[in-house]
Amino acid sequence: MRIECQHRDEHSCRFVLSGALPSFANSVRRAMAAEVPKLAIDSVGIYDNTSGLYDEMLAHRLGLVPLRTEEGTYVPIRECTCEGQGCDRCTVSYTLSVEGPGMVWSRDLIPNDPEAAPASGDIPIVKLEKGQKVVIEARAILSTGKEHAKWQPTTVCGYKNYPRVSIDAHCDGCGACVDACPRRVLHLVGRKVEVDGERLEDCSLCRLCDKACLATGIGENSAILVGSEPDRFIFTVESDGAIPAPEILRQSISIIRARGEELSRALSEIAEG
Amino acid sequence: MIPVRCFTCGKVVSSFWEEFKRRRDAGEDPKTILDDLGLFRYCCRRMLLSHKEIIDVTNPYQ
Repeated sequence: MRIECQHRDEHSCRFVLSGALPSFANSVRRAMAAEVPKLAIDSVGIYDNTSGLYDEMLAHRLGLVPLRTEEGTYVPIRECTCEGQGCDRCTVSYTLSVEGPGMVWSRDLIPNDPEAAPASGDIPIVKLEKGQKVVIEARAILSTGKEHAKWQPTTVCGYKNYPRVSIDAHCDGCGACVDACPRRVLHLVGRKVEVDGERLEDCSLCRLCDKACLATGIGENSAILVGSEPDRFIFTVESDGAIPAPEILRQSISIIRARGEELSRALSEIAEG
Repeated sequence: MIPVRCFTCGKVVSSFWEEFKRRRDAGEDPKTILDDLGLFRYCCRRMLLSHKEIIDVTNPYQ
């Protein structure tokens, strides 16, 4: 199994996974979206809210603010030694106190741990008029996307099979397929259609080229064969800012590995017992 | 208030709202602004395009 990274930065990551079963590719996708833990605000205490939004609405907006999460700094509250009370190891507390006029921004959320500050400070929470006031205390805990989408570290997270497009010898070079392709994967070289190597990965397997070729009356079979490689996948992962995208991939792999080891241990115990 | 995230994909879109509004009101084509801001999916684009701010209308009635 191989992973080739094509594009990698803080926010997004694009890579090709080859030599893997479709089930494994899907488990990587699911692990990235639903198993990698991150911090999110899950309980809010409202001391004063004379703003235009209801308390529930404010709490909802605060919950969606992505918070920077460093792996291993916090433990899930259920596994913590404080037994769900909430302590420094499992919770981060925030205070927000703003008086109008003006906008309440996510940067006004003051954490007790500066490492767990909001990933973006420019998220507007609520607009206040003169005399309006918001005083809030919030608590963030570590959890996973399985529980609620606000704990999902990824936004876009998906894969497709690696496309395989080949031109048959009986192509007459009419160029109908070139015009039909919405992703511009094909191009004409002289009187011959060729696949643009750089754009092949953009192919969405829509087969419009296939249909266009048949429509020209070329015969029973189209001159273009569109298929996909069953064991190669192009992944696209985008982070919401809480955890860098390559880091999400790394963590998801170690989660899958830990799960696999747990399964094989359990199986060998059954076999021995 | 502008929703914090895109309803469909979950990308944080609210942080772009102020800039989008300022530039749109200055007469710039929304297409160029959205491209500039890096909102290339149509789910995120509609969040800003179709948003109507009513907080200033409701605020006096608190």
